[in-house]
Amino acid sequence: MTTNSEPITTAAAPPRRSPWRDRLAENWHIFSRNPLGLAGLILLSIFAAMALLSFVPPMIDPMYHPMTGVDPLVLHSVGPSARHWLGTDFMGRDILSQLLAGTRVAFMVGVSAAFMSIVLGVSIGMVAGYAGGIVDTLLMRLAEIIMVLPTLLVVLMLSALFGKLDIWTIVLLIALFRWPGVSRVIRAQTLSLKSRPFIDAARVAGASHTRIVFRHIMPNVLPLAFLYMTFRVTAAIIIEAALAFLGFGDPSTVSWGMMLQWVWKTGHMFQAPYWLFPPGLCISLLTLSFYLLGRAMDEVLDPRLREENGTV
Amino acid sequence: MARYVIGRLGQIVVILFLIVTILFVLFRLAPGDPISRMVDPSLSPEEAANLIAQLGLDKPIGQQYLQYLKNFVAGNFGYSFHYGLPVWQVIMAKLPNTILLFSTAMVLSALVGISWGKIAAWKKGRGTDILLTVAALVTHTLFLPWLALIFIWVFGYKLGWLPINGMISAEVWLDPTSGLWDKALDVLYHMVLPMITLFIMHFGSYLLVMRSSMLQTLREDYIITARAKGLSERAIRNHHAAPNAWLPVITSVGLSLAFSINGGALTETVFSWPGIGRELVLAVSQNDYPLAQASFLLIAMVVLFANLVVDVLYAYFDPRIRY
Amino acid sequence: MALLEVHNLSIAYRTKRGLLQAVDNVSFSLEQGRSLGLVGESGCGKTTIGMALMGLLPRNGRVTGGGITLAGRDLLALTRQQWRELRWREIAMIFQAAMNALNPVQRVGEQIAEAILTHNPQMPRAQALSQVEGLYQLVGLPLERLRDYPHQYSGGMKQRAVIAMALACNPKVIVADEPTTALDVIVQDQILQETKSLQKEFNIGIIFISHDISIVAEVCHHIGIMYAGQMVETGSVAEVFSQARHPYTRALLGSFPALGGARRRLSPIAGEPPRLIGQLPGCRFCARCPVSGHSCKLEPPQWRQFSDSHFVLCDHCE
Repeated sequence: MTTNSEPITTAAAPPRRSPWRDRLAENWHIFSRNPLGLAGLILLSIFAAMALLSFVPPMIDPMYHPMTGVDPLVLHSVGPSARHWLGTDFMGRDILSQLLAGTRVAFMVGVSAAFMSIVLGVSIGMVAGYAGGIVDTLLMRLAEIIMVLPTLLVVLMLSALFGKLDIWTIVLLIALFRWPGVSRVIRAQTLSLKSRPFIDAARVAGASHTRIVFRHIMPNVLPLAFLYMTFRVTAAIIIEAALAFLGFGDPSTVSWGMMLQWVWKTGHMFQAPYWLFPPGLCISLLTLSFYLLGRAMDEVLDPRLREENGTV
Repeated sequence: MARYVIGRLGQIVVILFLIVTILFVLFRLAPGDPISRMVDPSLSPEEAANLIAQLGLDKPIGQQYLQYLKNFVAGNFGYSFHYGLPVWQVIMAKLPNTILLFSTAMVLSALVGISWGKIAAWKKGRGTDILLTVAALVTHTLFLPWLALIFIWVFGYKLGWLPINGMISAEVWLDPTSGLWDKALDVLYHMVLPMITLFIMHFGSYLLVMRSSMLQTLREDYIITARAKGLSERAIRNHHAAPNAWLPVITSVGLSLAFSINGGALTETVFSWPGIGRELVLAVSQNDYPLAQASFLLIAMVVLFANLVVDVLYAYFDPRIRY
Repeated sequence: MALLEVHNLSIAYRTKRGLLQAVDNVSFSLEQGRSLGLVGESGCGKTTIGMALMGLLPRNGRVTGGGITLAGRDLLALTRQQWRELRWREIAMIFQAAMNALNPVQRVGEQIAEAILTHNPQMPRAQALSQVEGLYQLVGLPLERLRDYPHQYSGGMKQRAVIAMALACNPKVIVADEPTTALDVIVQDQILQETKSLQKEFNIGIIFISHDISIVAEVCHHIGIMYAGQMVETGSVAEVFSQARHPYTRALLGSFPALGGARRRLSPIAGEPPRLIGQLPGCRFCARCPVSGHSCKLEPPQWRQFSDSHFVLCDHCE
């Protein structure tokens, strides 16, 4: 976070090469020296490709539809073949198509839940940090309470009350219960920004509170928020998958967690390793890739974490 | 210290009260008839009327709420549909099993994670460090139910070494000749796989936190002081760096507790470990609302208390904090 | 032969930008019971010398030339084990207490006892603790604070504890690195006076590292002025103060108020020291020097002697 004076200097500085491009190039340089971060990025690209490819199988033949496509020749689970590269599930549906569709669902759940929880967390964190006083105390107490609740079990409890939840409700609930961690970090950041001279300068210049928060504080906390988003994606994917695994997923979508549930509940786990291995591996690797990406970005943003190569 | 603990206990009571109230409101908002959710349809009419009176379901909403709070304090959560027993009795029978499995696994992961994190930081950049860090990163993000299923597949099915579900084997416990020792061994035998699953999921985060905290500590001036005093590297690591480094780990244990409880419930479910997490999952699947509600509240209580314990431990180990 | 002899010492750090020559050809010696002050701006290499004397250079730092002998013993030839035994017993260090030199989660008394016990493994713990009590009395700390933690001490008390710690094993030499920098002037003065009297009492040699020439003048017999990794002027306190020859020394004297001295206008030195990477021909100070001539940029300056003890590294001083 070296940009504390950015809002003022960018206005006054003579036009030269875009500072954003320079920063980006420098950050990429730091990032690219982190092998684990690169591994995460590569893995993530593979999964993105899988998500895009998920539209292909149903177009080839309706029997490759992940949900409704049943191979008329196989009505039970068979191993991999030329027709079904990863085999079929208990009712003859293609596992590869399900796996690809699951990638799309995982991305969608992860990214949208993370995005929503970041929006919530950043706004609440900024308001709490900037307003201070009773507002701060109340919001942070609320954050503490929500933080100690096990999200998976809370969502489970809600589906006990309201019946099976659809995927968007699940996403929304995950977002609602995963903001406190972000807001605590953003609040701390806001508190330290608040005492910097450029905020005073803006206040003296007559800027309103909203303007100060959105124009001066927000740009400075966004990189950190983005970093936390990658970690939240991981959490969201795991919670959704676990929920689906326990049988409380949205019955109208195929997700990796649901595939695991099927293999477990239909008693195929001992006979069908070709069905047992892929979905869990995908969940683990996708969350790993987001996690690695987040850690590498953390290093870019926080110079203290960088390996010091012996500067005096 | 005592004042702090009492204050925190008061806070816990307030939070529990809030959770209970929110559950009450949601219960009212939920679609369907509250009576049929709370009262098993297979009860005889008198029994049902009795239970309805006890739970206050026939009274106006305000009184119902008061009755509900009173029942909560008295531990009266109604009857489980599935077991036909008072809910309290059911969950109290399951709680020790959860505590046994969960706390053993957590203590084990914390101890191993902390000591491996210490080693990794000490050997920073070398083979040992890279191996440990990558192992921690990879295991930390594994999907727990999948890991559990793979373990069952490998150790239970392919190799046949370990039992794959439950907590006890009938033949040991029904055999009148088996003593306490045999029974304990039997439980331990059943505990191996779920415990290893939980361990693998959790040691990584402790390792990573300890490693980075240790690296930060090693840059502190008092490490130079210690070295200047002529202390051995081992003494520096164990007496000066580590005691400072694991303070943040204690905090992270508290913060990740909710996450771990999710994992505990999943582990119990996959391995059919008769614990409270599995009970909650089953109760929700079987529409056994009284049991689900009580299990949930009990878990919430345990989490809140565990957080208190973590904070007290932190204060105990960090002399700079005195309440 | 002097107690501590530093002879043409050069130290370099490996950095991303290249080899950084932090200390270049520095020589000095210290007699028993005397004290030498090393003075210079931050980055001039004075702390690096202190760390080299303790054998505590960071991993990327290395002695590239010269030698250090302590009581006739070549320190650069010591093994790790020998270093461990020698540290604190022969040569100890007073750290700047404000810099977290004390472990925050260990009782202060224990930390001092630890130094004693490390070097006397056979000593019973109780005896070590009673020695610590003696040290506390020596530096003027109340005994009831023995079992306190560092955060319970004030800045001055912490500094005293650090001094007590340095005395714990009766070292022959103590390296004091900016020991009073973060303290307020009154405490600073008290501690300086005590350091001086302790030094006399125990006949210890002290290397006193500071950026503040007036402090050094108060405690030391000799002064070495350092600039950009080199020693540029060395002599007795009187010589350096009243007959400063090197332009840098003069500038330094002009930029510090003397403790209790007459009010004068401070004249800060314009410019910055050179980066110590790569070849540096000529005098390192010439870019900031008011009297430099053309030859200064090209030719390295030569040492000039003005008395038995007064030496100056400058071609333009008379």
